[in-house]
Amino acid sequence: MPSSAGVLTPALTTFSRSVRNRGTPIESSIENLISLLKRRQIRDSKPCAMATAYLLRRVVETFKIADVSGLIERVHQVGERLLAAQPREMAIGNIVRRVLGVIREEAEEDRDGETSGYSDADTDSRPHSAGENGSRLPEAPGAVSRALLSSPLPRGASDQPSLEPHEDGALQRLPVLTAHASYASTNTGPVVTSMFSLLSHPRSNVALPTATPGSQSPGSHPPLSNTALANLTAAKDLRAEIVEGIQEILEELNQADDQIAGYCLEHIHSNEVILTHTSSITVQKFLLKAAAKRKFTVIHAETFPNDHESTHATVIGKAKGESDDELRPESFQKSLTAAGITVILIPDSAVFALMSRVNKVILDTHIVLANGGLVAAAGAKVVAKAASMHRTPVIVLSGVYKLSPVYPFDIDSLMENGDPAGVIGYGDGDMVNKVEFENPLFDHIPPELVDLYITNLGGHAPTYLYRIIADHYRAEDTELDKFNAYQ
Amino acid sequence: MPPKNTTKSAKAKQKPQEDQREESLQAVVLADSFETRFKPFTQERPRCLLPLTNTPLIEYTLEFLANAGVQDVFVYCGSHADQVEDYINASKWKLKSSPFRALTLLKSTASSVGDAMRDLDNRDLITGDFLLVSGDVVSNMSIEPALAKHRARREKNKDAIMTMVLREAGTGHRTKSKGSRPVFVIDPGAERCLYYEEMGSRRGRSRHITLDPELLTSNAEIDVRDDLIDCHIDICTLDVLAQWSDNFDFQSLRKSFLHGVLKDFETYGKTIHTYIVTNQYAARVKSLRAYNAISKDIMGRWVYPLCPDSNLVPDQSYRFRKGKVYQEDAVVVATTSIKKTAIGSQTNIGEDSIITGSTIGRRCRIGNNVIIEGAYIWDDVTVGDGSIIREAIIANETTIGKNCTIESGALISFGVSLPDHIGISMDRKITRHQESFFDNRLDPEDSDTSSVASSRLVYRHPSASSSASSISTLASLNDDLEPIRDSSRRSSFRSDPSDDAAETRDFHLEATASILDGLQKGDPADTIILELNGYRMSTNASQHEVRKAVVAAFMKRVSSLSGEDNASGISAREAVREVFSKYKGLVERTMFDKDVDEKVDQVDFLLLLQKEAFGRPNGDQLLLFVTKEVYDSDIIEEDGLLQWWDNERSAEGEMGKVRDLTEQFITYLKEAEEDDESEDEDEDEDMED
Repeated sequence: MPSSAGVLTPALTTFSRSVRNRGTPIESSIENLISLLKRRQIRDSKPCAMATAYLLRRVVETFKIADVSGLIERVHQVGERLLAAQPREMAIGNIVRRVLGVIREEAEEDRDGETSGYSDADTDSRPHSAGENGSRLPEAPGAVSRALLSSPLPRGASDQPSLEPHEDGALQRLPVLTAHASYASTNTGPVVTSMFSLLSHPRSNVALPTATPGSQSPGSHPPLSNTALANLTAAKDLRAEIVEGIQEILEELNQADDQIAGYCLEHIHSNEVILTHTSSITVQKFLLKAAAKRKFTVIHAETFPNDHESTHATVIGKAKGESDDELRPESFQKSLTAAGITVILIPDSAVFALMSRVNKVILDTHIVLANGGLVAAAGAKVVAKAASMHRTPVIVLSGVYKLSPVYPFDIDSLMENGDPAGVIGYGDGDMVNKVEFENPLFDHIPPELVDLYITNLGGHAPTYLYRIIADHYRAEDTELDKFNAYQ
Repeated sequence: MPPKNTTKSAKAKQKPQEDQREESLQAVVLADSFETRFKPFTQERPRCLLPLTNTPLIEYTLEFLANAGVQDVFVYCGSHADQVEDYINASKWKLKSSPFRALTLLKSTASSVGDAMRDLDNRDLITGDFLLVSGDVVSNMSIEPALAKHRARREKNKDAIMTMVLREAGTGHRTKSKGSRPVFVIDPGAERCLYYEEMGSRRGRSRHITLDPELLTSNAEIDVRDDLIDCHIDICTLDVLAQWSDNFDFQSLRKSFLHGVLKDFETYGKTIHTYIVTNQYAARVKSLRAYNAISKDIMGRWVYPLCPDSNLVPDQSYRFRKGKVYQEDAVVVATTSIKKTAIGSQTNIGEDSIITGSTIGRRCRIGNNVIIEGAYIWDDVTVGDGSIIREAIIANETTIGKNCTIESGALISFGVSLPDHIGISMDRKITRHQESFFDNRLDPEDSDTSSVASSRLVYRHPSASSSASSISTLASLNDDLEPIRDSSRRSSFRSDPSDDAAETRDFHLEATASILDGLQKGDPADTIILELNGYRMSTNASQHEVRKAVVAAFMKRVSSLSGEDNASGISAREAVREVFSKYKGLVERTMFDKDVDEKVDQVDFLLLLQKEAFGRPNGDQLLLFVTKEVYDSDIIEEDGLLQWWDNERSAEGEMGKVRDLTEQFITYLKEAEEDDESEDEDEDEDMED
């Protein structure tokens, strides 16, 4: 109880606290989150994703798993309700799909273990091998990150023609689609577990299409199989594994910004002029990390009317960790100017005029769509258009959790319109009576205006996103809800 | 979130320790407005359940409270309490997931805000600072800064008893009321409200207010503002309740309470402060005009995130589409142009219709070639082909035939069915509800004259179970009524219909207070008559109003003399005798029909008396004593009494029950003189005013 705070407007912190509280019935937690979403007390991709993950973890914990399809059904239903509450926060849907994926995967592993003696050794060994390999990377959570690890693939790697879908046979696609256990379950032979292991043996990768699946298992796999077999009987607790999987998703959410920032030195060079937009924490971290090594100039568009105040605060280094009362690390963050970077704050209208001097545009995004387009804070499209006019590269920073398998058939329905009070004061009676105002919160940027995405897995071309999506989401979960399954 | 298991039972008093342990915010929602501005709809449904863009009004208020982090909510129901109760119990606010720790319904027979507040004080439910809001507030504001300021002020000065939240809105704003404009005189430094007055836009007191010169000399700086929307969101302390209790004649929130407390600043030193909101939305659906304006504000997303597509009520499924159309699932729309409209689910709209700036509820059937502009159509309405509806409100389950024309300002209440080819002219109100004359007892502030006037606007269908044939007489009947009441009818959207009411209310309040004052001080009857006459002349009040004031004051005096709380209490009978015998002259001077056969004035007096008695605990007794007393002292003649007794209005429904005890007395009278039966009953509903 926040006794000292007196009145406390509910938000993510209070919600996560109440979800963790064992006494709260699960149904009321769900309703609670739904009304928080409806009231927009939890908004933006990251808080929504976090809240969804907290809630689903609780759903899994409280669900009496008789059979897995029941659990899948349950999570699906909860996800549908959450999405119906706020269809434009698509990060919710992404997390639901990820959790469903985790459940399906664990279930299939489990089933494999029971049915076929020889393949379970392989499947069960996956987490171990992935974890081992991954320990060299900044973050190595087990089961889920297997999928993540499969894709820190240099852009060049995606150009390898041998793996492209025109060769449609299941055998050819298998090595890449490791996360798709549906293939694994139908397949009798052992499956190549991760893209990472493929990359660590680039030669075998090239040779792959001709090789038979059975012959090209990764090196780490055979020695582990015995111990894995022994573990099998012990590691029966499906629930624990699923919860662990969700825990990993949460960790990924927390670390996404730092991981993205880790790629900064590859993209920001000395004496460059960088233009950015909105007061995004992701972008700020990215720039700050680069500022430690290099000197460059940042031009910051203020994003009137919805975000200008926090943009100003960010520039002068007084950013508060959003409206959350939690003391998060962001609130202690230094401003760019304190790190010795020249920051120029400009009105949005000046973006085009300054674009000719800009070397790179770095944008944050609200959501990334399946076709490589994105939905970002209103004003981002102006920036992207201006950049494409001047042939300035546009880099978009986005955690993988923002990557949605939804294809934008109806762009209007992805937009949220806000309160016009930012555009004109409500007190201006004549204007309010006679003029109509719109204040869209988002812009849709088509894929051709974006040059590069940097996710926590590395940099990707927009055309490559489909691959990451395929790695992270199961095809059967793509159409999660009736809201996004457009006509 | 607080643990849910602390939910306490409705009647249980909160213990002081609990209060100290956790400082929770309480809120009181006045679900009854004690007004009649939404007639005829409010005759069948409480105002707080009327749909505003297809969502009941009270949802907006409760959302606002949930946003503000309120934990305990008390909903004060007045009229139609059962409906409010049913609704709340079925709503999401009663679920375990509700953001409120406790939501308590309080039912009472309060007939004004004042009574409700005094009742609240008696119940001892409120433990600390609380929010007082009416059940029709729409706001996306966060109350925290206002609350913080209020608390800081409280720390320094215990006499800062209330903070009013006011929304700044420039001149000519659609959401402000056009009728009586509140004027706040504010000390901007201390954010203190110094003076309050409502400025009417017509008649004599139109465009000026009177300021005490001392205000100018004693304050370095004052703002006189009439650009504020008073959204009736007040942060109150317990002292506010005490003030209400101390001043039992306070009736309304602003006019009497605020005005009264400010006036007594010299004596008691209580101050009331203001918090002026400049960048968020706050308004109150207090009249049909405001209903129209706020609907537009919601559709224009000023109230974001409380827009239809936020789907506040769990079963809603609105989505925002092109052309500012909010549409639910399962809406069937033919090739039709729709703009800026909200459409509920399972509604069918025919071909070639044009719908702009409107709200259409669920399960409606809109025919082909229909034109709907700026209208509010609630659930289950059928509109025939080729009809035209402009800026009207059409309530649930109404059927409108083909090729009807409904002009702006028309209000069509629940379940009315109009046959084909009917024209409803401007500002007509149509209801099936059989209105009993005293139905509006919930509205003591509106004087009877105005309620007669407004009831005259309501076309009452003779057979409530309306058959189509009788409806066809509608147009002609209405035409008859038109010339009579022309002056008092005005567009429901364009002006504030209860302006007249405000004026007479003024008279009633002031006159009652001055008579009561005289009675208490024991002034001679002549002095009181003189004062009363002077006041009557200056406000051009009718004799009916004078009678009303006299009756009210006398009854108050009687009950204060005989009340249980009075230590030196005398019996009601003695009290009646004492008051009425001493001031016989005063009562007599209010009636002028001694020599006429039809004792209209006397009947009126007795009706008022009955009405006044009705609202009191031992009303039946009081009525008996008073009728006996006035008969014995020849204030009322026997004919008058009998005519009153036979008057249909006095016998109706609830009202009639109050007469039960008096019946014996009347029977006695009738038996004593059975020869003189007045044969022509007084059936006229209209009083002389």
